[in-house]
Amino acid sequence: MGIMRMGYAHVRVTDLEQAKHHYANTMGLYETLNQDGKVYYKGWDEWDHHSVVIEEGGVGVVKFGFKVEKAEDIDVIEAKAKTFGVTTERMSAGENPEVSDGLRIFTPSEHVLEVYHAQTLIGVETGTHNPEAFPRHLVGIGVPALDHALILAEDVRLMERMFVELFGYFPTERVQTDLNDDDAHFIASWLTNNNQIHQIAVLEGEQGKLHHFAFKLGDWNDVGRAAEIMVMDDVPIDIGPTRHGITRGQTVYFFDPAGNRNEVFAGGYPAYPDRPLTKWTPDALGRGIFYHAREMNERFTTVYT
Amino acid sequence: MTTITVAPSGEVIYLDPGETVLGGLYKAGYAYTIGCRRGGCGICKVDLISGAVDYTVTVADTVLSPTERTTGTCLSCRAVPTEDVTIAMRGEELRLINPLLRSINERARQRAEALKASTAGVSTP
Repeated sequence: MGIMRMGYAHVRVTDLEQAKHHYANTMGLYETLNQDGKVYYKGWDEWDHHSVVIEEGGVGVVKFGFKVEKAEDIDVIEAKAKTFGVTTERMSAGENPEVSDGLRIFTPSEHVLEVYHAQTLIGVETGTHNPEAFPRHLVGIGVPALDHALILAEDVRLMERMFVELFGYFPTERVQTDLNDDDAHFIASWLTNNNQIHQIAVLEGEQGKLHHFAFKLGDWNDVGRAAEIMVMDDVPIDIGPTRHGITRGQTVYFFDPAGNRNEVFAGGYPAYPDRPLTKWTPDALGRGIFYHAREMNERFTTVYT
Repeated sequence: MTTITVAPSGEVIYLDPGETVLGGLYKAGYAYTIGCRRGGCGICKVDLISGAVDYTVTVADTVLSPTERTTGTCLSCRAVPTEDVTIAMRGEELRLINPLLRSINERARQRAEALKASTAGVSTP
C-alpha cells in the first residue's frame, strides 16, 4: 500500500534536559533510547521504536520519517521521485538507530523526508494479548501517538503535487485564492492517503521551516484535559482548546521548551479519495483555522521554527 | 534591582532578579507581539537602546545571530537585564492591558527605590 503514515518527527531543541522534561513528563511519551545527544520517544499506542526524536542544538525540524508497508515500496517511490525531479539518496539501516534502510528525499521546500520500511518493534504499552483499554499509569497528557505535521514552503502547489506523485497522497482540504484550480494560487493543502484526515499539510511560508507537529488525542475531553496539564506545567499555549474549521479537528497549539510548536489534535472526519475536495478561500480562512474565534491570531503565519 | 525604561514613553518597570524583559513587561500589565515565549521564533525582538542583558538559557544562533547580540537586538523572552536597560518596541507600541498589575509593579519599584535610598551610605560590617 506504499506509505502508511508519518512515522517520526525529528526536531532540534536548545536545551535537551528541558525538552526531555516536556516530551516525557508533559506529553507523556516513553523514552526508548538516549544516544549521541539524541533522545528517542514513542507514544503508548505506538508499536515501533520511536516517533519523536529530539536533538540538542538549534530549533526547528531536522527531518520527518514516513513508513511504507513493504521494502519494495521504496523502489517505487524512488522511481517516482526521479520522474518528478527531486533529489534523493539511499540511506542504510542503522543510519537512524532502530530504523531500516530507505530513501532520503530532499524536497523542493528544503525539508528532508526519510522513507523507511521497518523499525525495531517494541509493541504497544497495553500489549496484544487480551489488552486493557489504556495504560493506567500514563504520565501527563499521555499522548497515544504522533499524528501529523504542518510544514512551510514557498510553493504549495508544487509540494502538493510532490506528495501526490511520490506518496500517492490526495488533498482533503485546500486554501486557494480562487475556486477554479487553474486560476488559483494555493496557500495551503492538507494531504493523506488513508482515512486519517491529514498526515502532512503544507502552508505557504519560509522554506524548510516547521509550523508544528501534532499528537493524536481521542476527543474534546482529552483536548481540554491536555490544555489543563499544560497550565499545570506552565507550557505556553498558542491557542485553544478550539476547533479547526479545516479538518474539523479539535486542537490546542502550544510550544515546546525550544519554541517548536506542538499540537494535540482530536477528531477530524474520515478522508476518502473519492470525497470531493473541501476548498477554503482566504476571506474565510480565519474560520478555517480557528473555527470559534473566526480570525487568525497574528502568530499563525509569523511564528514558526 | 534592575529596571526597564521603555522609550519613547519613559515608562519604568521594575524587575525581580533573574526576570526576563518579557516576563517583567507582562508582570507589569503590558502586552506586545510575542510568539512561542521560548526563544524559538524571534517574534518578540525589541531594540536594546542602553544597558546590558544576559541570556541565561541557550538561544539558537538562527533565532538571534551573534551580530544581533552585539548590535542592540534583544530577544525579549530570553533576555535577562544585568543592569538598568532602555528598550524600544519594534513597529508597535506597548499596550497596557492590566492597570492593576501596573500599579502593583509601580509600588514594588517605589519600595525598592526607598530601600536603596535608606541603605545608601550605610557600610556593612
